[in-house]
Formats: sequence, structure tokens, C-alpha cells
Amino acid sequence: MTFEGFRLLYVLACVGLGLVILSPTLAFVVTAPSEVRFSEMWILGSGRLIGKYPFNVTMNEVYKVYLGVGNRMGEFEYYRVYVKLRNQTEPLPDALNGTPSVLESVFEYNVFLSSKTVWEKEISFYFEEIAFDGNNCRISKLVMDDCALKVDKVGGWDEESQGFHFELFFELWLYDAAVSRFQYHSRFVGFLMNVTRNQ
Amino acid sequence: MRICLNLGTCKDVETELCSRAKGFEMKAYWIVACLVVLTLTLVWFAPACFAVNRDEASANIGEAERDLSLASSVVAEAEKAGANVSAYLARFDDAGKLLSEAYAAFGRGDYDNASFYAIQCADAVDGVVENATRLKMEAEAAYRNSMFLAAGTSSFYLSLLFVLSLFGWRFLKNRYFKRVLGMKPEVVTDE
Repeated sequence: MTFEGFRLLYVLACVGLGLVILSPTLAFVVTAPSEVRFSEMWILGSGRLIGKYPFNVTMNEVYKVYLGVGNRMGEFEYYRVYVKLRNQTEPLPDALNGTPSVLESVFEYNVFLSSKTVWEKEISFYFEEIAFDGNNCRISKLVMDDCALKVDKVGGWDEESQGFHFELFFELWLYDAAVSRFQYHSRFVGFLMNVTRNQ
Repeated sequence: MRICLNLGTCKDVETELCSRAKGFEMKAYWIVACLVVLTLTLVWFAPACFAVNRDEASANIGEAERDLSLASSVVAEAEKAGANVSAYLARFDDAGKLLSEAYAAFGRGDYDNASFYAIQCADAVDGVVENATRLKMEAEAAYRNSMFLAAGTSSFYLSLLFVLSLFGWRFLKNRYFKRVLGMKPEVVTDE
């Protein structure tokens, strides 16, 4: 080995050792590239299975679904889930533009999650007041988690699918401390129901 | 019992006492009747007096909403600073449920319960801001201490490395030259 080669090797060894010594301090100064920040939302039917959602619903019969939210935002977050009920003609949230549905919410869940944690809740609900009038079906009262809610939603008879169809859907909103209000987080889940007369 | 005073005959005194007793009895009846009426009036009107109207309920819900949002923001900052905030999650869950109940009651027009739940919600997060701020400051102080410790330790060992490397270089250089010189071929003269 030449003298220059030997000197270069020595300098490199010293620099390497210096970096090892400096690494605890560098850990405070250099920030790792942030992970992708996102939130999860899901809804499961009976038995916590996808697809086993209540479809043919009648008055005063209790149904259960499981709603879940996961926080992958990298920090503590305050979520709000707005529960909305719509008939077939009313709009869903716009998935393309990321805008929420214009419908009023009937109920809400406030969810507080640390980073990398999930929240799952069994939601029980039933319709306490349903009235059928010719080709119209009016839902007046919905009971969700033992909380009676006035809804007053009218749906028409659908000739194609032969039913009075309503959809219960859940929008995910996120509290933005910078503007001190909730903002729609571009996520929603829901399921369609066919309201039928009691046998 | 007969008491004879200077009021007249004993019979007159007895009549006088009887009429006074009857008068007293009547007064007692009136007092009891008044008390009963007053009590019933209070029972009837008290809820109306303490009833909460829509604006008050809305104001209470707004206040609870602000308290909860502020508490969650401070806790988020504390967690970001490295504090363990798991102890607050249960309180937040309770407060969140109470706020949902408040909104649901408000939607039904039940302003008394809406106000009640809103106040309960605000109470549930009472003190969280102060405690989370303290936790955040402690976490930041701990972070600063760790950083200074790491920087100090690194500086010390880097200085040591610098000095030792100079001596090491001198030692290794000498050793290198000795070895090279040891390998130098000697000139042998032909005789």
C-alpha cells in the first residue's frame, strides 16, 4: 500500500468513527422522511363481516353494524363521524371532489385516537316510527345507541328494485386546530336498506 | 282548669280563652293551607323558572365544543412533544359521548338535557388543558436535556478522537516508515 493510500484509509476510519460518535446528536437534528399520513374507515355487518349488512329492515327491530376508524396520521387526532340518512334521490358525498353530503347529520360520534390506534364501535339502531302512505314511506324516528333521533325522511317506491330504499352512511371529519373547526376527511362508508312493512 | 283574673267572672274568662283558642286554631289552618299552596306553586313553577331555552342550550353546547377542541389540541401537542397522553383518552371518550348526547337532545328539542350533557362534557375535560400543558413542558424539557446530553457527550468524544487520531497518525506513520525502510533493498558491493 502506498503512503497516500494508507493516509486516506486512516482519514476515512477517523471520519467513520466520528460519525458513529456524532450519531446520537444527529438523531435529534436530522428528521426522518415522514410516512404517508392517512386515516382508515370501515363498516362491517353482523359477525364483523363485510357484506352482511342489514338490508330488509322493519320497524322496531334492532340491527347492528360495526364502525371503525384508524389513525395513521402520525399524531393524536380528534375525529368526528357524522351519521346521515338519505333516500334514493338525495346525494352522497362527492368522492371525486372530496366534498361531504349536504344533508344534515342525525347523530355524531366523537373519536379521539393516538397515532397508530384504531377505534371500533358496535352500533345498534332501529326505526321507531315508520309510516307507509301509498308510494311513500316516512321514517320519523331513528333510535341509535339508545338515543332517540328525529329524522323525518320520506322515500318513494322504487319500481326497478321494488322497495323503499334508504341509505345510512357515515362521514369522517377531522378537527383542524389551525382553523379551529372540523373539515371533511374525504372518507365515508354506508349501506343501503330496504324498509319493509312488519309481517 | 279555671283561671280567675281581673277580667270578670270565671265563666267569662273561660269563654274568652275558648274563643282565643279557636282563633289560634283557625290561624294555624290558614298557615298550613298557605304553606301547602306555596309548596305546590313552587313545585309547579320551579321547572319553568330553571328551564333552559334554545339559546342557552346552544351556548352551553358551543362552550363544551370549544373546551373539548382546545383540550384535544393541547393533548395532541403534548403527544407530539413526546408526552404519554394515554391517561386522557378515557376522559376524552366520555366527553365525546356526552357531547353526542347533547347534540341529540338538542335535535329533539330537549334543551334541558342538551344543556345538562354539554355542561357534563365540559366538566369531563376540566383541567386537561393545564395538565397536558404541564406534560408538554416536561416532555420538551426532557427532550432538550437529552439533546444537550447527547451533544455534550458527542463533543467530548469527538475531541478525544481528534487528539488520539493525531497521536495515532504519528505512531502509525512511524511504524509504516520503519516497515518500508526495513523492506528497502541493501546495495551489496561486488568484491
